[in-house]
Amino acid sequence: MSGTTAEPAARFEVPPRPRTWPRRALIVSALAAFTVATCLPAIGGVEIDLGAIARNWRHGAANLSALLQPNWAFFPRTVQPMLETLQMAFVGAAIAAALSVPLTLWAARPTNPNILTRSAVRAVVNVFRAVPDLVWATILVAMVGVGALPGLLALVLFNVGIVVKLVSEAIDSAEHPYLEAARAGGATQHQINRTLALPQNLPLFLNQWLYALELNVRISAILGIVGAGGIGRLLDERFGFFAYGDVSVIILEILVVVLVIEAASNILRRRLA
Amino acid sequence: MTLDTRAEAGAAPASAWPIRLDGVSVTYPNGTAALRDVSLTIDAGEMVSVVGLSGSGKSTLIRAVNGLVPVTSGTVTVGPYTVSGLSGRRLRQVRGHIGMIFQGFNLATRIDVYRNTLVGRFAQAGALRGLLGVPTAHDREVALSALHTVGMLDKVWTRAGSLSGGQQQRVAIARALSQEPSIMLADEPVASLDPPTAHAVMSELERINTERYLTVLVNLHLMDLARQYTRRMIGLRAGEVVYDGPAAEATEADFEQIYGRRIRPQDRLGDRT
Amino acid sequence: MSSTVEARTRTTATRPGVALPPRPSRRGQTAATAVVGVVLLVATATLDVEWADLRDLPAAVRDYGTLMFADPDWSRLPRALFEMWRSISMAWLGAMLCVVVSIPLGMLAAHGVGPAWLRLALRGLFAVIRAVPEVIIALVLLTVTGLTPFTGALALGIAGIGTQGKWTYETIETLRDGAADAVRAAGGGRTAVIRWALWPAALPTLLSFALYRFEINIRMSAVLGLVGAGGIGSMLANYTNYRAWDTVGMLLIVVVATTMAVDAVSGALRRRIMEGT
Ligand SMILES: Nc1ncnc2c1ncn2[C@@H]1O[C@H](COP(=O)(O)OP(=O)(O)OP(=O)(O)O)[C@@H](O)[C@H]1O
Ligand SMILES: [Mg+2]
Repeated sequence: MSGTTAEPAARFEVPPRPRTWPRRALIVSALAAFTVATCLPAIGGVEIDLGAIARNWRHGAANLSALLQPNWAFFPRTVQPMLETLQMAFVGAAIAAALSVPLTLWAARPTNPNILTRSAVRAVVNVFRAVPDLVWATILVAMVGVGALPGLLALVLFNVGIVVKLVSEAIDSAEHPYLEAARAGGATQHQINRTLALPQNLPLFLNQWLYALELNVRISAILGIVGAGGIGRLLDERFGFFAYGDVSVIILEILVVVLVIEAASNILRRRLA
Repeated sequence: MTLDTRAEAGAAPASAWPIRLDGVSVTYPNGTAALRDVSLTIDAGEMVSVVGLSGSGKSTLIRAVNGLVPVTSGTVTVGPYTVSGLSGRRLRQVRGHIGMIFQGFNLATRIDVYRNTLVGRFAQAGALRGLLGVPTAHDREVALSALHTVGMLDKVWTRAGSLSGGQQQRVAIARALSQEPSIMLADEPVASLDPPTAHAVMSELERINTERYLTVLVNLHLMDLARQYTRRMIGLRAGEVVYDGPAAEATEADFEQIYGRRIRPQDRLGDRT
Repeated sequence: MSSTVEARTRTTATRPGVALPPRPSRRGQTAATAVVGVVLLVATATLDVEWADLRDLPAAVRDYGTLMFADPDWSRLPRALFEMWRSISMAWLGAMLCVVVSIPLGMLAAHGVGPAWLRLALRGLFAVIRAVPEVIIALVLLTVTGLTPFTGALALGIAGIGTQGKWTYETIETLRDGAADAVRAAGGGRTAVIRWALWPAALPTLLSFALYRFEINIRMSAVLGLVGAGGIGSMLANYTNYRAWDTVGMLLIVVVATTMAVDAVSGALRRRIMEGT
């Protein structure tokens, strides 16, 4: 290799190779230092305890094998909570879809030229998005009591955050030549949004609504752990009793439902595209 | 179906409007002086072309007429209104009387031809109808007859994005016509079209000018189109008017003065086919 | 002038004579909308929710909002920052583990890289992992590594493989084939294609996804804390149980501020990576 490159270099004027390695070395060592810092228990990092894995892997293996032996007799008891989970996921996604339309159009630049209201909506959405789903559920359970309502509210808040952020960014980065034409014809921003921007960008919305629904099925399966309704409550209870056969049925059920929803929404996406 | 008498009355523009620019200068926020002290008068019902090299300020001139670009100094007058200095509702109202056609057609591609054409009626909508986005029977009639005028009535339910370039530009013309404008602006309306289609669209503009008695101001960068379709030609160079006279009599030397260089083959489109 | 009026009358008057094409049927779309609507109505009506409780919600939001944010308890801030750093560590290590495992697996799962049987097996594995909620993975891991942040990091690492692997093979597959073909045309084998065509082209996107995983994990680490993996989530769960709202308010402020800061930094980095600087 060196022979073949050195030879032409002698004959042709090769421009000096840009020195990228010092910067690269700096980045790599910064990342390494950060990673090391995250592993130091003394300063609050994570203690990597490989010994525990060596000692206790049998527990995990036993649990896994117990999880692989579902207790099918338990299935009938899971149907009702599973339905509740699906209902929460669907209703939550639908409410969020309705709320997301005006908020998204407010948060995107082409559909809201007013920088004040636009930044305000974006700031609120970003704050709401920074609170994790299960944390929302925990707080809402404290506020309105145990049940499906706090779960539903948590899903709605979570979905609105995702849809508004992703769709408004997609609208921002797309070209909207028709806006200028409508403006040249004397249209108001509201008329443009209502009759042009919304139908033109509907596929973006539909895509994210479906995504929110998929996420909801996954999340609402665990909302019950903090008392927010659905199959998670049952999961938590059976886990507490070490009834792994029952837990296994629930997990398998969640798995099937998630896969079915994902497949269905993939088909829908393809048809909408 | 009998014609609504209002529709017939409405299809006739009250009158063509004159355009007056008095010492107009436009300097963009980044410091580019796009127009320098331009003064000209275009009489009601005239069809005038603006020619010049890329960057000479043609688009800026045409956009100053409907206020899409605010002027830095000087005044722009259309019919009874002074555009410079207007904003908000008053500006939208004036724009309602000025149709505009773009090089890139600027249609909402996912929306059908019908609703794209109705955009021309936005400026006329009352507050409530504007809010709900519902057209009146009169709006509908005006939009459909505009589509008929440009021969696109049979495509009324087609999505704009699935039309050919020439068809899209016809729909864009129908959109502008359905404003029942007193002035028609066209910013390089044929630059994205192949030669036969370009001639067809230019003939359409010519016909609108005579049949509907509209003032037409059209940007072109091809000298033969300006000569063939317009009677008066304005030459721009670096933001200044360097030619203003009959288009048919403009000599090669005049064009060389406008372009600031020799005529090249690409400055001509080729003859009508 | 008179001739133009005549012409105008001609154009508008002939309009009704030309048949307006019939509006295409949208029956399929209408039916689908109706079905979704009915399902939604039924789901809403039968959902076990006391909608009347919603009336108390504004008051509850005001009351708890006051309790939490009127006078947050800043005395426990040092502790909160310590726990937050622990959550960040969990998220970072989880992201590293996830990326290190999912990049090779995801590459092998892409079309035109690995053999078909391996591709199907890996895609199946990714789909299964995607379907299992993180919390459940953490609950299983608890029995091995205990109620520790290490469990949290492991759970985040494993749970993320499903999505990260999918993103990886999708990235590889959307690359233009040109470079890969060029390497093949020059006589390169599979490894050469990966090393000289796919890897350099995909690297910025994959790095950007890795940072995105970290952003996701920041949120998930708080969730795993709720089920006992430690960090800010555990602290939040404890003080919520004690109903010490002024402390909960402070903790929420810390979580939101940290998450938004991480989002901002990581988002800026991602943009720079994708722009190639
Ligand atoms: N939004 C803008 N901001 C800053 N400068 C601009 C802007 N729009 C145009 N310019 C500049 O103003 C000058 C005139 O531009 P204008 O678009 O009017 O030219 P044009 O004659 O229409 O050119 P073309 O034939 O390429 O469309 C150019 O130098 C251009 O770079
Ligand atoms: Mg231009």
